[in-house]
Amino acid sequence: MEAKQATPVKYDMEVVRWFTIAAAIYACVGTLIGVYVASELAWPFLNFDLEWITFGRLRPLHTNAVIFAFGGCALMATGFYIVQRTGATKLWSNGLAWATFIGWNLIIVSAVITLPLGWTSGKEYAELEWPIDIAIAVVWLMYGFNYIMTIGIRKTSHIYVSNWFTMGMIVMITYLHVVNSMAIPVSMTNSFSIYSGVQDAMIQWWWGHNAVGFYLTGGFLAIMYYFVPKQAGRPVFSYRLSVLHFWALTFGYVWLGAHHLQYTALPDWTGSLGAAVSLAMIIPSWGGAMNGMMTLSGAWDRLRTDYILRFLVVALAFYAMSTFEGPVMSIKTVNALSHYTDWTVGHVHSGALGWMAMVAYGAMYHMIKKLWGVEKMYSEGLVNVHFWLATIGTVIYVVAMWVSGIMQGLMWRDYDEYGTLTYTFVESVSAMHPYYAMRAIGGLIFNIGTWIALYNIVMTVRTASSARSASAVPANA
Amino acid sequence: MDVQAMTTNDWLGVFFALVAAIGMVVTYVMVFRPSNKQNFEAQSRMALDDEDPTKLGEKR
Repeated sequence: MEAKQATPVKYDMEVVRWFTIAAAIYACVGTLIGVYVASELAWPFLNFDLEWITFGRLRPLHTNAVIFAFGGCALMATGFYIVQRTGATKLWSNGLAWATFIGWNLIIVSAVITLPLGWTSGKEYAELEWPIDIAIAVVWLMYGFNYIMTIGIRKTSHIYVSNWFTMGMIVMITYLHVVNSMAIPVSMTNSFSIYSGVQDAMIQWWWGHNAVGFYLTGGFLAIMYYFVPKQAGRPVFSYRLSVLHFWALTFGYVWLGAHHLQYTALPDWTGSLGAAVSLAMIIPSWGGAMNGMMTLSGAWDRLRTDYILRFLVVALAFYAMSTFEGPVMSIKTVNALSHYTDWTVGHVHSGALGWMAMVAYGAMYHMIKKLWGVEKMYSEGLVNVHFWLATIGTVIYVVAMWVSGIMQGLMWRDYDEYGTLTYTFVESVSAMHPYYAMRAIGGLIFNIGTWIALYNIVMTVRTASSARSASAVPANA
Repeated sequence: MDVQAMTTNDWLGVFFALVAAIGMVVTYVMVFRPSNKQNFEAQSRMALDDEDPTKLGEKR
């Protein structure tokens, strides 16, 4: 039988390159703003009495920059990369992909302008005002439509599991964003939610937790299921487990939001349901984390030399830790201590820095070598330096917030023999100071790592471009 | 249980809870059925094989 010849597939990778570079830049800027707002909490004089740079205005800019600018660009870069390669096809529309890139970046620019000006809807992780919300829906649909149509024109019969995770994210985020952003506009820069009271709170956290579940978890699991096997050079440990992981998260995650509203005006049973399903989600989440880890079976020795693989494996460890910690925090008894404290902030950052950013950087380093056709990064040593700064920075940050949060919770609930509160609120704020300083230092260490990554990426691209130009000269001569 | 007191929202909740529960049962049966094992596990190399599109499993 005649052996089949490999047919080279021409992919649309230029837009992926741009999304990747944009993600690297936004990671630097987004975490830098985070370090600044963390420093404002430790040293309030940094507000300088300028309303545009107060904590209340810069904090949403930080969350939008890291989640939607860095995270969004990383997701779109990896999404367009994976869907083409696993489908052996070009994008359905390269033009639409470019329109998505431009549109997404214009939205980020509008966030940079409007949030410091105080134009906000006041909804957590959805602060942008209604005209920008409409733009987000349009650009997100452009991305989703292009992605799904590319799946439609794939040359392979099977749709790889990463693509399922990305499609789950696309469908659910469209639905969540549109429902959560429903508002009555009163001017171009002001609007009011169409929901009120407990319904508003419920919708807010239905969106808030599912942004975590489908965007920061599902989207980044798509990255994990493609780049861990790829970088380790090993097949997925259990493909069946990956299918189960996808469907269990898809069916289960949407029920969790109410666990953010324990001990509020929301009916008690909704919080209990949220907590019960949260605990059930430990099973697929840990199954997925183990699946990723076990993919390295027989390749663990590579961790000594493969710094990119280190990013991916440590990300999986943080994924496992966060997906255990979250359900534990949703239990009413634990929630009574943890709610409204810095423990929540620590939990979010073990997921955002430890899982999301680490797995994104692992993927970005892998892609950069492929996209620019180089064997190695400009400096493999700097990848290692970045890895350690990211890991140490995350650990310092998370530990500071754990200690601070648990101390806060204990101080707030402490009563003396007469039944009055032992500590005033301001005493608990004062006790937090060392941990707020420690958090800012942890964040700064992480941020330094992102600048090193950006330098390394830019130098890799420049070196690859120079090499390409040099080799092109004789050919053209 | 007071069925008479159930609102439209309550019934919608029951419907979606049943869809999710039945969906999970169907998924478990499908994934763990021994005859499906080979079909699923055959895809586990897909990320590795995309360097050479001829190895990317069955074509459409």
